[in-house]
Amino acid sequence: MLKIIIPTIMLMPLTWLSKKNMIWINTTTYSLLISLISLSLLNQPNNNSLNFSLMFFSDPLSAPLLVLTTWLLPLMLMASQHHLSKEPLIRKKLYITMLAMLQTFLIMTFTTTELISFYILFEATLVPTLIIITRWGNQTERLNAGLYFLFYTLVGSLPLLVALISIQNLTGSLNFLLIQYWNQALPDSWSNIFLWLACMMAFMVKMPLYGLHLWLPKAHVEAPIAGSMVLAAILLKLGGYGMLRITMMLNPQTNFMAYPFLMLSLWGMIMTSSICLRQTDLKSLIAYSSVSHMALVIVAVLIQTPWSYMGATALMIAHGLTSSMLFCLANSNYERTHSRTMILARGLQTLLPLMAAWWLLASLTNLALPPSINLIGELFVVMSSFSWSNITIILMGANITITALYSLYMLITTQRGKYTHHINSIKPSFTRENALMALHMTPLLLLSLNPKIILGFTY
Amino acid sequence: MNPLILTIILMTVFLGTMIVMASSHWLMIWIGFEMNLLAIIPILMKKYSPRAMEASTKYFLTQATASMLLMMAIIINLMHSGQWTITKVFNPTASIIMTLALAMKLGLTPFHFWVPEVTQGISLTSGLILLTWQKLAPMSILYQISPSINLNILLTMAVLSILVGGWGGLNQTQLRKIMAYSSIAHMGWMTAILVYNPTLTMLNMLIYIMMTLTMFMLFIHSSSTTTLSLSHTWNKAPLITTLILITLLSMGGLPPLSGFMPKWMIIQELTKNSSIILPTLMAIMALLNLYFYTRLTYSTSLTMFPSTNNMKMKWQFETKQITLLPPLIIASSLLLPLTPMLSILD
Repeated sequence: MLKIIIPTIMLMPLTWLSKKNMIWINTTTYSLLISLISLSLLNQPNNNSLNFSLMFFSDPLSAPLLVLTTWLLPLMLMASQHHLSKEPLIRKKLYITMLAMLQTFLIMTFTTTELISFYILFEATLVPTLIIITRWGNQTERLNAGLYFLFYTLVGSLPLLVALISIQNLTGSLNFLLIQYWNQALPDSWSNIFLWLACMMAFMVKMPLYGLHLWLPKAHVEAPIAGSMVLAAILLKLGGYGMLRITMMLNPQTNFMAYPFLMLSLWGMIMTSSICLRQTDLKSLIAYSSVSHMALVIVAVLIQTPWSYMGATALMIAHGLTSSMLFCLANSNYERTHSRTMILARGLQTLLPLMAAWWLLASLTNLALPPSINLIGELFVVMSSFSWSNITIILMGANITITALYSLYMLITTQRGKYTHHINSIKPSFTRENALMALHMTPLLLLSLNPKIILGFTY
Repeated sequence: MNPLILTIILMTVFLGTMIVMASSHWLMIWIGFEMNLLAIIPILMKKYSPRAMEASTKYFLTQATASMLLMMAIIINLMHSGQWTITKVFNPTASIIMTLALAMKLGLTPFHFWVPEVTQGISLTSGLILLTWQKLAPMSILYQISPSINLNILLTMAVLSILVGGWGGLNQTQLRKIMAYSSIAHMGWMTAILVYNPTLTMLNMLIYIMMTLTMFMLFIHSSSTTTLSLSHTWNKAPLITTLILITLLSMGGLPPLSGFMPKWMIIQELTKNSSIILPTLMAIMALLNLYFYTRLTYSTSLTMFPSTNNMKMKWQFETKQITLLPPLIIASSLLLPLTPMLSILD
């Protein structure tokens, strides 16, 4: 695992020592090489995890998330080149350093064995993200966004620290590899109910759960493109990953404790999808669509069946790639018109046809068209929730319909129709942007050929 | 001030604290406290103004009252145990009075009212000495009598201090008052763990002193005492803004910086002793502290605050020299991986 972590740490000296015209080339190339190294982890031969050391391991759940994380760094760097082009050199290097630092913490979070180390790294990802959102965002609302982001997550996660330490007292160790064998049922008591709540609230805020999601539209909208990409693609999945790991220890309380959160998620996914239909702000629409997809993941994780775990994992990976791609597309609009309003940049198909192709593919995967992995994720979740309770099929079906509605709404508004008169002076698509979209789309399409690598540890 | 006189006075302050920390006779400890108090009054009044006079008067009155209470507790202890050696205090009344006296010296709630006003009225360097060095002597006495302290009183004072330190700092723009409220809150954390594991009190004291030293050094660099003047730092010395960001987030207790280490260890120790609600409450209230630190970073490092000139760099007067800044920065931000080394404090 050090073969991935040390090169990522070394990306920071690389940026500071590179010449002015080489910083982007150097960092993008080396981060692509690092993502190639991480691909080897996807080969998980037996049912156990691959244990590299006492502190790092990778199993069929964390390997796809790790590959996603490392794949996304070169994409983030490519996406940030334009809006940073006018900044002084030191600020560019600072930005790339923040991204590399965030990447290091994320890689360590996904592969660590000890749960307290997971907690520390989980919190550590907050600091670079806060700096990226607040320092490099574009509007004054970014200050408020950073505060909401920081404090929602911290208030949720401080009880998690206390809960992890008390679990360590009870069971003697928080090493994840051991706990899966030592697992006992939690006795039924009030304090164990609070323990369950303390463990789960941090991840619920991170996912986010519907009632606690206020930070997400603010943070996603105000962040610069790399910040939005990493937030949508990876940081939300930290919550999902944490929940998948920690629900293992929390039975049998989950059977009754999960009900309020299931209700909130089922209702919330419909609510947030419906709000998407009325959005004027393109990034805000994509942010609310993230909430909706993550609500599906919460439902899947709380139901705790093998199929739902498969669906949750697949949906996390698929949504990561799709959402990041949508943010890149929205950013390409923003860079041309400097506005996030959808109707100001409409009818783009006549002006930028290749970009329209990417918009089409992104919207189709967002609405979970077969045979993409988005569909596999959603389908598994829908089926397992139907087996948990037949009535949920109504809500799930409504959600799929509304998702299709807003994805097509977004596509038609931005691409079809007559273009506005002020838009015929925009620059044509850069090769960099097309490469970015292709690099997002290719894994999505290729994974639909062999989805078993992203189906997680219950396959 | 005449350098020779300044040296003598500082040496007396130093000697006073050393006498307190090294003595085994209660009377010598009291003498050490008094020596410390009398010698630090001219330091507080370095800038001769009515505000400084008011600050040093308030400091003198509270500390003298605390010393007298301490003397009373010593005498009651003498009455009940017949000896002057400093071990655990044998009489509960004496123990309570001694705890209250030392809390008054440290600035714990409900005796915290002097801390912001005194810190505000004196210069930055004197404030630095007040908030770091002066805490060493009372804390060492608390460490030594820790087996006999009444848990209820100490924990109440600690939790209220964390609350007051967080809440009181929310409305401040003066940097010295912000540091004073931060000191109140950190003292609360330190005394909360005193009865369970005094080593962690010492760890917290160490990290707190490093971080406060760093913060004051960064303030002294541009002689800024308000948020507004600190917000001009990006124009004068941009590197300082990054250092302010790191140190403030470390003071707020964010992982992976070293300010998280004492909080984590304290929460771990409290949880191991089966109190769960208390550390959760303390941790959530520490977020109030983090809020006003983050607000400071917003005006200093994370935005380019409107400044008085349009040029890239502002010409300014000579900056004050800050000693030992690089080691302090490293100590106040990167020590978290060295957590297992806290066994050397035993």
